[in-house]
Amino acid sequence: MGNVFPDPIVGANFTSNTKNYPWHRPADITDFDPAVDYFIEKMTDPEQQEQVFALLEIETDVVAVVHSLLLQAISKGKIAIDLAILIAGPVARYISIIADESDVKYDMGTSDDNRRRVTPTSLKVAFGILEDDAPAELVEEVMPEEPEMGLMGAQPEDAVTSASPDEQSSMLGMTDEEEEPTDGLA
Amino acid sequence: MKFEDAIAKSIKNFMQGKVPPATSDEAEGGLFYTPEYFDQLEEALLGTPAKDKDDVDG
Repeated sequence: MGNVFPDPIVGANFTSNTKNYPWHRPADITDFDPAVDYFIEKMTDPEQQEQVFALLEIETDVVAVVHSLLLQAISKGKIAIDLAILIAGPVARYISIIADESDVKYDMGTSDDNRRRVTPTSLKVAFGILEDDAPAELVEEVMPEEPEMGLMGAQPEDAVTSASPDEQSSMLGMTDEEEEPTDGLA
Repeated sequence: MKFEDAIAKSIKNFMQGKVPPATSDEAEGGLFYTPEYFDQLEEALLGTPAKDKDDVDG
């Protein structure tokens, strides 16, 4: 028998244990400087540093590395989400400095070169709104209709070509000229 | 705005030398980890002056 009452029981939230997960409890670190301290301390661990440098060497940008470090700390209940956003800058800056010190090439990932530019034309295309004065390349070209002709169909009059009278009479052997054999049998 | 977008924006602002003003006002005696602190740290560790802020991509 399936679940007859799929929705949560009203008031269940008042009886459940909300301290099951670290992020349900108050964060361990609540201030800016101690939070940055925590990450700098963490980055002094050679194992942690190796992991970060390995990620940077496979062209993971610093933003993505910081993002994963902060999410890890949030999931452990070390810092709250709003503090994570505030300390992202100092953590990224510190990573860039130690990467420079260790000659590890990196990309910050804050550039918006890959951002798709929004133009009036791109918006019109996206929304399917194209005006009458749309650019020529967007207007569908009207091609002349090809005559439909089956294998046994009658050809249109202008498609029929007939041989000239002289050509017709020569084909019928009605010319005065005699043909000379060309194979040397004469 | 997604969390990762907020992180990217926060990093970009910090690299341009901007610090959330309310955060620095709240801290007693000001913040320790400021953009200037990291510029000095970079100079101390690498022996080169801090990069010009305009050089930062984005």
